[in-house]
Amino acid sequence: MTEPALRIRGLSKSFDKPVITGLDLEIGAGQLYALLGPNGAGKTTTLRMVTGLTRPDAGTIHIYGISARQHPNEAKAITAWLPDEPMLYDKLTPSEYLAFVAGLWRMDPAVAAEEADRLLHWLDLWDERDTRCEGFSRGMKQKVALAGALIHDPKLLILDEPLTGLDAAMARAVKDALRAQVDAGKTVIVTTHILEVAERMADRIGIIAGGRLLAEGTLEELRTSAGTEGQTLEDTFIRLTSGA
Amino acid sequence: MAGLRPAPGGFAWLALHEIRLGWRMRPKKGAARWIGYALMLAWLGFGCFLGWVLRDEPIPPLPQIMTGVLAGSIVAFSFMTTQAIIGSQRTLYENGDLDLLFSAPIDGRTILLAKLLGITGSIALTYAVLLLTLVLPIAILGHPQLFGFVALLVALALAAAAIGLGITLGLAKLAGPRAARTVGQIAAALLGGAFFIISQLASHGDKRESSVTILFERFSEQGVGNSGLSGLPGHAAFGDPIAVIVLLGIGAGLFAVAGMTLQRMFLTGYQDGGTRLSRARPTGRATNRLFHAGLFRSVFAKEWRLLARDPALIFQILLRMIYLAPIVFIAFGRNDQVPMAPGLAFASVLLAGQLVGSFAWLTVSAEDAPDLIAVAPVSKATIDRAKLMAAFAMAAPMGLILPIAIALQSPLGALVTLACTAIGGAAAGYIELKLGKPAQRSAFAKRRSGSIVGGIMSIIVTAIFGGLAATSVYLIG
Repeated sequence: MTEPALRIRGLSKSFDKPVITGLDLEIGAGQLYALLGPNGAGKTTTLRMVTGLTRPDAGTIHIYGISARQHPNEAKAITAWLPDEPMLYDKLTPSEYLAFVAGLWRMDPAVAAEEADRLLHWLDLWDERDTRCEGFSRGMKQKVALAGALIHDPKLLILDEPLTGLDAAMARAVKDALRAQVDAGKTVIVTTHILEVAERMADRIGIIAGGRLLAEGTLEELRTSAGTEGQTLEDTFIRLTSGA
Repeated sequence: MAGLRPAPGGFAWLALHEIRLGWRMRPKKGAARWIGYALMLAWLGFGCFLGWVLRDEPIPPLPQIMTGVLAGSIVAFSFMTTQAIIGSQRTLYENGDLDLLFSAPIDGRTILLAKLLGITGSIALTYAVLLLTLVLPIAILGHPQLFGFVALLVALALAAAAIGLGITLGLAKLAGPRAARTVGQIAAALLGGAFFIISQLASHGDKRESSVTILFERFSEQGVGNSGLSGLPGHAAFGDPIAVIVLLGIGAGLFAVAGMTLQRMFLTGYQDGGTRLSRARPTGRATNRLFHAGLFRSVFAKEWRLLARDPALIFQILLRMIYLAPIVFIAFGRNDQVPMAPGLAFASVLLAGQLVGSFAWLTVSAEDAPDLIAVAPVSKATIDRAKLMAAFAMAAPMGLILPIAIALQSPLGALVTLACTAIGGAAAGYIELKLGKPAQRSAFAKRRSGSIVGGIMSIIVTAIFGGLAATSVYLIG
């Protein structure tokens, strides 16, 4: 039996009040998983704990069988994180940014340079590779950050609201890039407010509210559990979260 | 009470909004706030004590005091104008609320005047804390004529805000939108240091004194500051109604003229500032030349590039080094009494401490993408070491200058100085690493407000190693 891409057990986190309470979640490898929830549900907090940016109060996190709390660097080596605000340096060019990220992941320079060239072409950034990021649109910045997330060939790619603020063409490019990752056997986890995206792209969907996982499964499984057969994900989502 | 509230959308309403925003930008927590309050209370207590002691003593407007007020006003005005340029830049390029304000059905002139008043208020408040806490108790306890200092302060702040905005917008027009921010920052740094540098150059060859003292001496020699236009600040400070009216009139006039005439330039400056133009220069160079083996080289390359592309920041750092010069001479008394090499040894460590501390702040505390670093499969300690090494390497070329100069007199002394410089610099960097607070690179000028303890410790440590270096070099001969 293969290891799940992400296994979370009993995860809890409180700030001034409990944000995540005893969350259990398991996401199989090689799928695109959409984590949905109303504002303040705890989606971003959960993913920040998975990526090591926020320390959990309790619980375990395993990424492809590696304990993210006990062996953070091993877990980080196979993970990429793309927040809603791209983690960029305005004064660096896309090429320089990718070189820096490759250095952080200690990639072989020749391999990294080749991969950077491929990503810059693939994400249509080649002509802007020597232009500083400070003048880029949000969509361009998001693509540069996505290239940075992909350059070390992560097995698990986690994206927080990756399509927010992108125009249709940019959103299509990002969605194609995510689907290509899944087709290549990688695992992608996204949070999104755009339910149509989850409906059309996700292999499985998790709905989180009040720091707990309310429902999880394929779209059909969610509809069945919510009693909304034949209806949209939006109807299902509202039904499931209205009582939370 | 509702009738006293200003009408929404009007100048007074917007001005109150600006004041409220300014008030809420003060430090809300941490040691800095409480240390600030404690110092202010102590200063106020000192003012009350002085007021009590002087309550029955006459304070006549002696020529020396009048000249001193003029010298102090000139130096304060140069710093106020610097503050106004920085405030104008922040308003134009950093505050997000101009989008909201300009999209509202409010006259552009009203917005500009309210913003200008906000800048004036922050300038006046800075100096009020220093000056009025001392002067007002004396005025209240028996010398009401000294309330004139309030009028002098307000007049200077109004004029400085107007001139600062004019300089910012003029530079934006001359330099163009791409260079406007950088040129503005350099102009602010130059203006801030102008009086210091000019006064040091103009000072008598054998001694180094503060800018105010040098100006005071020059003015006293020439009998300036007691009558005519040069006497206005002194007379206003001592409550002369004519001088108060003239100075307030000049300040308010400049303020009004700036508000009336700069509206279009302000709008253009804001609109151009929002475009964030960038250099597009397809070099065609091979991408693989950018990729380095090893974490240290990647961190080095990134930190060097970020610094090299921020000329305003480099300029600020260099200017700070110039400011350090008199501290060295003050520490050793008169220039002609100080053996040269020990003085240079002390300066070398002080310089290195400041430089490494500044660069370490930039590389460690002012990291633009902390989350990227945090999700990388590298321990924080390793990254910090790489960044500290980068900071050290950035400072090294300048840190070598003075030991080389010492080597001309004493090669052994140069070696000792080099060792102390390296240790002092490393200690300053380590302190920044441990005590530095995350901040934006643009906040470089105020970086010490994030960690006062760190700043004090850094000065103490570099002074200790500087003293050790100076003593060693003196003993070596």
